[in-house]
Amino acid sequence: MFKQFTENINSHQIYLLTSLGIFFVFFVVVAVMLIRIRKQHIEHMQGLPLQDTIDPKPLNHA
Amino acid sequence: MQPENFYYDNKIVRNFGIATIVWGIIGMTVGLLVAIQMYAPGANLHNQFTTFGRIRPLHTNAVIFAFVGNAIFMGVYYSLQRLLKARMFSDALSKIHFWGWQLIIVSAVITLPLGLTTSHEYAELEWPIDIAITIIWVVFGINMFGTIFKRRERHLYVAIWFYIATFVTIAVLHIVNSVELPVGAFKSYMVYAGVQDALVQWWYGHNAVAFFLTTPYLGMMYYFLPKMANRPVYSYKLSILHFWALIFIYIWAGPHHLLYTSLPGWAQSLGVAFSIMLIAPSWGGMINGLLTLRGAWDKVRDDVNLKFMVVALTAYGMATFEGPMLSLKQINGIAHFSDWIVAHVHVGALGWNGFLTFAILYWIIPRIYKTELFSKKLASFHFWAGTLGIIFYAVPMYWAGFTQSLMLKEFNPDGMLKYPNFLESTLQILPMHMMRSVGGAIYLLGVIVMGYNLYRTMRQGSLVANEGAQAMPLEPAHTLAKESTFHRTLERRPIQLMVLALITILVGSVIELMPTMTISSNVPTIASVKPYTPLELQGRDIYIREGCSNCHSQTIRPFRSETERYGEYSKAGEFVYDHPFLWGSKRTGPDLARIGGKYGNAWHYNHMMDPRLMSPGSIMPEYSWLLTQKLDTTTTIAKINGMRKLGVPYAAGYENIANQDLDKQAKEIAANLYADKIEVKSDKEIVAIIAYLQRLGTDIKANKTATK
Repeated sequence: MFKQFTENINSHQIYLLTSLGIFFVFFVVVAVMLIRIRKQHIEHMQGLPLQDTIDPKPLNHA
Repeated sequence: MQPENFYYDNKIVRNFGIATIVWGIIGMTVGLLVAIQMYAPGANLHNQFTTFGRIRPLHTNAVIFAFVGNAIFMGVYYSLQRLLKARMFSDALSKIHFWGWQLIIVSAVITLPLGLTTSHEYAELEWPIDIAITIIWVVFGINMFGTIFKRRERHLYVAIWFYIATFVTIAVLHIVNSVELPVGAFKSYMVYAGVQDALVQWWYGHNAVAFFLTTPYLGMMYYFLPKMANRPVYSYKLSILHFWALIFIYIWAGPHHLLYTSLPGWAQSLGVAFSIMLIAPSWGGMINGLLTLRGAWDKVRDDVNLKFMVVALTAYGMATFEGPMLSLKQINGIAHFSDWIVAHVHVGALGWNGFLTFAILYWIIPRIYKTELFSKKLASFHFWAGTLGIIFYAVPMYWAGFTQSLMLKEFNPDGMLKYPNFLESTLQILPMHMMRSVGGAIYLLGVIVMGYNLYRTMRQGSLVANEGAQAMPLEPAHTLAKESTFHRTLERRPIQLMVLALITILVGSVIELMPTMTISSNVPTIASVKPYTPLELQGRDIYIREGCSNCHSQTIRPFRSETERYGEYSKAGEFVYDHPFLWGSKRTGPDLARIGGKYGNAWHYNHMMDPRLMSPGSIMPEYSWLLTQKLDTTTTIAKINGMRKLGVPYAAGYENIANQDLDKQAKEIAANLYADKIEVKSDKEIVAIIAYLQRLGTDIKANKTATK
């Protein structure tokens, strides 16, 4: 069934290749950004949801 | 520096939580009712206000914007305060947001059964409500950014980026897809027509799934899953990649809803290519979620929250693998317009959105009420009812989709359609539809049990409306050292983050929408296609009011099985005066693009009065009220004027004589019906809808006769 897909694709190849190109560049930019992030920062960031500083005596204005 | 004391607002979280449960039960009950109507048309309660075409949009709007919408706000208001170590920016704005959103939902509950609809799927609400949605969305945005600005944590956790992307993208989608010209208090025409309108609608429709049903839920997943498992997310770097890749790619994929239609081929191919790429970020997110449970899988056995989470993530993974597969043209050729899509959607909706919502509700409610869950057994029952409900829902729908599609495509050895009557395929899948409603009922039962369980939980505890907390204030920004990387800088700059997210989603949107909007060669015109007559236009608006496009498509794909069944495939130029387009997305009944002239007027009259008179076994509801209700012709002038403003070439001053033309055409149809021994006054709605149906697809036939 993929035969039909590849046969019909000729006139639209440029769009597929351009979009793949855009995606590739975007992916590389984000990847470089990720590699440059320091480990301590990552640890700080991923710990954020777990650090609740709840007062032991909550006020209740309900 | 001294630590500061402050209080989290739990009351607003609780309010959104209760709204989630109440609207969830209502929305799913309406869903069950429409599911039953698919095999028992009498379940429309013999009433226009509860008939499928009008309440199917009520079901979708209720579960998306009321159930999921309230759940999003519950999750965001809970997690945002804690991640930023700050109370919500303004209690007043929180209240306005809450009550405003509920009011919008109530207005939907009133207007949709009345037939006040734009017909754009998942954007059915008419223009005054669209404006209200915009205002309340801005209130939400101000409240969210206000909280971000007064935060006590410098860097924004990944969940918040997802919330920001949700806010900004939904705003863009809603505004662009709601550009409509009002022609009455609750009636408007889309500014875009035909192919362009279809492209905008499905750019919206697809990204409503992306940015209403996905990104806010991913944000909540990144907050609540680590909380429930009591360990950080598996890979924070992966979550960053997940975020940027997902929002960048998702926005391009809309055209996969329009494969094989008259949308330009390049736009279709672009949509397919990006849909395939979507697997990467979607699965990245799912894997990141599941691996967060590494070393904690033993907890899944006992912890009902984690059970719900695991099934939610698995359903997300299944739906996001299936989605790209469905966008492949060959698979789409079978799946589109069939129950397969309904199955696909519900795996995502019931599994991903439903189960993640339940997990969060079971987690939040006992915590803000400082108590334990009332009954773990009932929660466990809910989990199994929900899981079985999804299976009993999805499997029959997949089966029905394959069966019907393959039947409709089958030829006999003589080269004729094996099942020339569409109804044969409908009757074949009725048992599957019955089983689907059983699955839905089981799922709904689970939700009702959850409602009871959480109600008892609230009763046994007491709400900590203002939960005390303590955190160090932020040092002034100018005293901070320069951040070491760009992304770290970005994480402390919410506005820049929002602008960058906005640019990211606009790239795909602009590249995809602009050429079809601006280059006329993308929509070749056809000389014989003429504007609708006033009576046809009124009939078309009745077609919209009754929601006919929920079950009938108006676009024929270039397959032999379709051109044999329905006639010549649809061309872009045929729809240039269609504000809005009415292609539909599901064929519960046959396509109507070329129904004009296929049957006589009397056939349509009898069929509307009772479809089973003309097609024994049909599941179409009766539309007997069209026979007795008088057509409102006072709106004709405004409608003609409106259409002219949108570029439909009605001659200047035509609006003043439009009703004379309308009367003349109506009388002709009434006289024609009278010849078939049907006595009907020419001012009834049935006459207008017959005029419209008889017009459908005939322009292009006239073209053929002329060129022969």
